[in-house]
Amino acid sequence: MDGLAALALSIALVGVGFWALIVRRNLIWKLLGLNVAAGGSILFLVALAYRPGARPAIVGLGPGPAADPLPQALVLTAIVIDFATLALALVYVIFLTEHRHTQDVHRLEREEEWPQP
Amino acid sequence: MKWLSGLAVLGLMALLALGVSGIFPRLELPDPEPIALSWGARNAVAAIVLGVRLWDTLFEILIYAMTIAGVKLGLRFLRWEREVPPLAETPLLRRSADLLLGPVFVFALYVAVSGHLGPGGGFPAGALLGTGLLILAMAKGVERLSAEIHEPSLEWVEYGAIAVILGLASGLLLLGQRGASYFVAANLLIMVEVAIGAWVVLHRFASSRGEV
Amino acid sequence: MAAALSGVLAYVGCGLLGFIGAPRLFSWLALLAGSAAFLLWAPGFPEALVGGLPWGIAVAGDMWALGLWALGIVLHAAVLLHARGRAGAFHPLTTVLIGACLAAGLSRDLFNLYVLMDLTSLLALVLIAFERRPRAVWAGLQYLVLTEVGLILYLFGLGLVYGKLGTLSVSSLAFRGVDLRDPALAVGAGLLLAGTAVKTGVFLLGLWLPQAHGQAPTEVSVLLSGIVVKVGVVALARLAEAFPVGNLLVALGIITGFGGLAYAFWERDLKVFLGFHTMSQLGYMIIAVGLGAGMGALLYVVAHGLFKGLLFLAAGEAVEGTGRREIAALAGQLSVPVALSLAVGTWAIVGLPPLAGFAAKGVLAQAAPAWTKTVLFALGVGTAASFAKLLPLFRPVGKGRVGGLGVLTGAVVGFGLAGILAFPELTSWRAWGEAFLAVAMGYALYLGLRAVAPPLARFTFDRMLVSILLGTVGIAALVALGWLS
Repeated sequence: MDGLAALALSIALVGVGFWALIVRRNLIWKLLGLNVAAGGSILFLVALAYRPGARPAIVGLGPGPAADPLPQALVLTAIVIDFATLALALVYVIFLTEHRHTQDVHRLEREEEWPQP
Repeated sequence: MKWLSGLAVLGLMALLALGVSGIFPRLELPDPEPIALSWGARNAVAAIVLGVRLWDTLFEILIYAMTIAGVKLGLRFLRWEREVPPLAETPLLRRSADLLLGPVFVFALYVAVSGHLGPGGGFPAGALLGTGLLILAMAKGVERLSAEIHEPSLEWVEYGAIAVILGLASGLLLLGQRGASYFVAANLLIMVEVAIGAWVVLHRFASSRGEV
Repeated sequence: MAAALSGVLAYVGCGLLGFIGAPRLFSWLALLAGSAAFLLWAPGFPEALVGGLPWGIAVAGDMWALGLWALGIVLHAAVLLHARGRAGAFHPLTTVLIGACLAAGLSRDLFNLYVLMDLTSLLALVLIAFERRPRAVWAGLQYLVLTEVGLILYLFGLGLVYGKLGTLSVSSLAFRGVDLRDPALAVGAGLLLAGTAVKTGVFLLGLWLPQAHGQAPTEVSVLLSGIVVKVGVVALARLAEAFPVGNLLVALGIITGFGGLAYAFWERDLKVFLGFHTMSQLGYMIIAVGLGAGMGALLYVVAHGLFKGLLFLAAGEAVEGTGRREIAALAGQLSVPVALSLAVGTWAIVGLPPLAGFAAKGVLAQAAPAWTKTVLFALGVGTAASFAKLLPLFRPVGKGRVGGLGVLTGAVVGFGLAGILAFPELTSWRAWGEAFLAVAMGYALYLGLRAVAPPLARFTFDRMLVSILLGTVGIAALVALGWLS
């Protein structure tokens, strides 16, 4: 897949992810949408590293232009951040489910159903 | 409300497309090979992650460690009312999981140790090892495996690995040492840390198995 | 530079060791190590690249770093003195959080700021949900998801700017002079700004702020309003240096200031009220950053951290002591230290001399053009009007524990006096008169408006998300079209 198609795909992923994040009522669906959108941003960075006709940025793989190694390094951190966010968010979704017995955002936000502070 | 959300999302996508249209033609890059060689590695990405941008990587490892602390804190006091039955699998799966763990471990070691020479490094190796342990756990029954792995000493090893990484990295930053041995050591430590972290998080989730 | 980096590493290292055992001891050790490192590098150091060319991380010990380090150390000391009987992981978590904020003060690299903004958000979430109150967990979860959305947008902006210019360092962007007519750079700058604005908590993009700060445990609210939002302000300051977006930031600051006030005026829950005020006070800081008044902005950042920290500490004590959260219900129930601290904090935040708020607002107003001075005055009037409803709380009843309240009260008073001594034009009759006039007008406004009950829109999760996206598109469009730049 060349650079432009990957960039377009990353934008599409972000769109789909954010759409699911806003429109879905269930918290787990929202988190899945967030994860897809984060994947889109990660793909965007990786796609930026591509140059036409490039080889990986490893010494000894022959002449010619090398792909950009910096976005690849940035992406390692971004993936860990995405994993961390998803893990912690799921932990607290589990907690909320245990206390409020629902994952539906509209039900969670109704004032009268909260236990007293 | 839905049409407003749709408008917002489409607006964002159009904006991104507009932005992307501006980065062509692509910028010429400086050649990464001299940088990689000056750090003593052949993989430029490894040289960047563990060398040039080490200050970022340290905080990323910290993010990972804090996630583990947060998951342990958050899932600690869930009340599990029923006895959760073990996920016993067929004997074929159990034997296969046992046999596979060895090659997975060796492969993870290989990926970690050769991270500075080719694609790989501590992070994928840790993910390999952690999920390999999880597959073993799912095949043999999570509780049995977690009884065999003593978790408090795992915590010691985890935080110890992070402390050694911090010390090693500070030494590197402040003394200016470089070389292949540094990469191998750092990658192995990162593999240990990521694997233990992945095991702890996945194990906690698998133990509760969504029973709330 | 080595001292500063070692200070951060020592802070973080002691925090991590605190997870294994002896949490309070390691936190005190971290505080000592951090203070020692601060004293070592205190005069400041010029920008250095950690890791060498061409992709190294730029760190500099400039005045923002100095201010943030001082603020972090004072707040950490107050929290350590105040928190007794907090379970094992609390102190190590706060230590690592403060370590991350200290590192953010030093950083002048766009990606490093991203990593640190994310680390502070994750730690803040774990701390907000520490006592496992369901409302707090819900507020924290919204905080995490919204901040993550902002950071995804930030990452896109980062990619665009890097893809076009090949650099991540703020100084090199400032040096080159970014041309915002280029679509990639304009959209990139807009996305970077929007992502940082979500994390900072401006009105339309950071609507998570009041609930997250309001529902958190006492010491956590202090740290959140005191230093974690300042990480966002520092990031905005760096972005304002790299890209010519000053006027846009001023507009954003004005919207934030008045938006926060509008909701704060009618808010009944004490801690959420203070959270809305944090949002409104951020307006001051963002206006200052947008105007390029670095000193004024920095002074306001430090002053706000101190007096908002004091207010939150006192409010948290009040809420935990009596078990009630509404302002009306707390009247006549507060102990002497708590009521006194609330009074000192209120005196400072409405800008009355000789406390911290007066000095900060005065320096800020000096650097502002005429119409901005009027806006700042109006914000002051609104703040006074909104805080007027705390007056019934200042009747103390009985004794109470002082703890960290003493440290912060002393800091607020000291900062105020130092400010007045350092800037002699603040001792003029005119400045003092303006401050008192603002408060008087505010009280009159309060008396006039308190019977009115306008229908303010509630912040639901979906609305917050949509407002983030619309706000992002708006900001990026404004940058791209060249208005306000």
